[in-house]
Amino acid sequence: MGFIDIFSQQLVNGIVLGSFYALVALGYTMVFGVVKLLNFAHGDLYMVGGFAGFLILSFLSPFIGPGWFGVAVSMVFAMIAVGILGVVIERVAYAPMLSAPRLSILITALAVSLVLQNGMLTITKGQYVPFGSALGFGGVNLGSLFISYNQMILVGVSIALMAGLEIFVSRTQYGRAMRAVSVDKDMSRLLGINVNRVIAGTFFLGTGLAAAAGTMAGAYYGSLWYFMGFLIGLKAFTAAVIGGIGSIPGAMLGGLILGLLESFGTQLPGVGSEWKDVFSFSVLILVLVFKPTGLLGKPEQERM
Amino acid sequence: MRNLLKTAAGLALAFSLGAPAIAQDTLTIGLLVPTTGSEATYGQDMANAANLAIAEINAAGGVLGKQLASTVGDDACDAQQAVNAASKLASSGVVGIVGGYCSGATLPTLKIFGDAKLPMIIPAANSTKLIPENPGNVFMVNSTGNDQVAKAIEYFTAKNIKSIAIVNQGDAYSQDLADLTRTNWEAAGNTVTKFETTNKGEQDYSSVVTSIKSGNPDAVFWTAYYADGGLLIRQLREQGYQGLIAVGDGSNSPELFKIAGPAAEGVIGFSNPTAEFLPDAKTFAENYQKAYGTAPGPYSTLTYDATKLLAWAFTTAGSTDFDAVVATLQGANFTDTISGPISFTPEKTLARSNFVVLEGKGGAWTLPQ
Repeated sequence: MGFIDIFSQQLVNGIVLGSFYALVALGYTMVFGVVKLLNFAHGDLYMVGGFAGFLILSFLSPFIGPGWFGVAVSMVFAMIAVGILGVVIERVAYAPMLSAPRLSILITALAVSLVLQNGMLTITKGQYVPFGSALGFGGVNLGSLFISYNQMILVGVSIALMAGLEIFVSRTQYGRAMRAVSVDKDMSRLLGINVNRVIAGTFFLGTGLAAAAGTMAGAYYGSLWYFMGFLIGLKAFTAAVIGGIGSIPGAMLGGLILGLLESFGTQLPGVGSEWKDVFSFSVLILVLVFKPTGLLGKPEQERM
Repeated sequence: MRNLLKTAAGLALAFSLGAPAIAQDTLTIGLLVPTTGSEATYGQDMANAANLAIAEINAAGGVLGKQLASTVGDDACDAQQAVNAASKLASSGVVGIVGGYCSGATLPTLKIFGDAKLPMIIPAANSTKLIPENPGNVFMVNSTGNDQVAKAIEYFTAKNIKSIAIVNQGDAYSQDLADLTRTNWEAAGNTVTKFETTNKGEQDYSSVVTSIKSGNPDAVFWTAYYADGGLLIRQLREQGYQGLIAVGDGSNSPELFKIAGPAAEGVIGFSNPTAEFLPDAKTFAENYQKAYGTAPGPYSTLTYDATKLLAWAFTTAGSTDFDAVVATLQGANFTDTISGPISFTPEKTLARSNFVVLEGKGGAWTLPQ
């Protein structure tokens, strides 16, 4: 493989990885935008989404097959189911804390994360669960560059979901209400926006996207584990911060950048893969030092 | 009255140390294994095997006129949890330890058991890093990384392989195996095209796979555990890597095939002897199946033998006295085993290599023809 081949292959790898990060980062950033909460349980909702997709696929695959169509249908159901779970978590655990100091709700989020992780540990007894999808190994060869159909579908679905979200937030009335609530909750309430419903909707969307990523990851990588949400939760949070937490295009950009950094970090001459995280997290530190609001974040303005 | 006072004082002492009171007519063996976390299947399996050995010893009259019992300390394959579990075991009145699966988690416990004057037999963990940390109480009945590397290089050479890529996870066990392989492989005049380290729990290996493929090695050697190994194997094959894939003994689990699927077909594994490939282990495998409803796992035979070895050492030494038991173990030539005779080098490691080569076929490990 020549330099160009390696470069373009790592570009493909980075885009695939980045689209996972972006999907998960979107949930972080939306929830933060609306309720100023770092939802540390978000990575675990990705994990629950994977398991939900798996369960639904095991019920449905006798009828619709374990291929991409089956996975897509399961993904939609998993998004709805886990989206509802996200709303329930918000109602039960976060809503009573919304007026409490920020630290309390942050700790609540950590507790929710532990509950989800350990709940799944108990159910699965710590075992790896094979996802049971059959996606095949086919793909397109461009010279020595290889792009599998799975990778294309993954990136395509991610882009479609993100485009859908962007249209929803920027064009619909509900999206406008979301933006209004993220700017000023009290003023929105005075203007007749049902703030609680907007918050619930935000949780539904954010969690649903994480569930979509979880189902796709399960189908693509082939196995599920109760702890699989931890690392990606951390990485997605990083992506959201790089892009500017609270900014939806920022989360997409941040996810993509982080994915690319990790791919190319593996290939740094003379350094090797053990340094790839050092590399990507150094970029995070640099961003925070030189642009603390992230690449696309707007500085918060103090109003009198 | 005086006796009563003594008992009361003793009880108070026991409670102040937080030690559960252990009845006088049993000898309790501590089992340090991961029963939660990513390696939980192995750990449960080891605990089952030890308990099977204990049940058989008890049925034959016990040890030193007493019955054996066991208590499990869960190290979760994590160094911090292992220290907690080991301290708890050491203060709970056990007479010896059988256990140690993940080398990284086992490493910090050696000193704890050494300070507590408890003999320890390690059935699985086999990093060479354990050897210099041994305070003198630890005996390893699994062949060490050195033996595994020798077997791996012998196999690669026989298959006319000239270049390999090595992938590890940066923990004591997999890094040790990877470093040893690199040193010895290069000393034999061959090349290591890539030496990669990945994160435990990572799902996406595509960038590492591309990096490996760019070096075009004849073989890829994964030195860490099955869970992430399964993902790597799958992604290597998906990106069209055609060469040989070999895995170390940490990946010797049927779970590997569940995770990797058909991609694991033809994968080569270096393994310590498991029940299905040992003629003497037939009865053991049947009893295990009867008792637990599953087939014994990869480290169950060694754990079974380790437990019997410890019981034998107590009987032969005539007491559970630390120095006597350690001296007995050091001079052991123990043949009442299912995985082959056990005797120790002066470094307290197994005096022979017990590694075999396995091949993945039809979703299971088999002996290659």
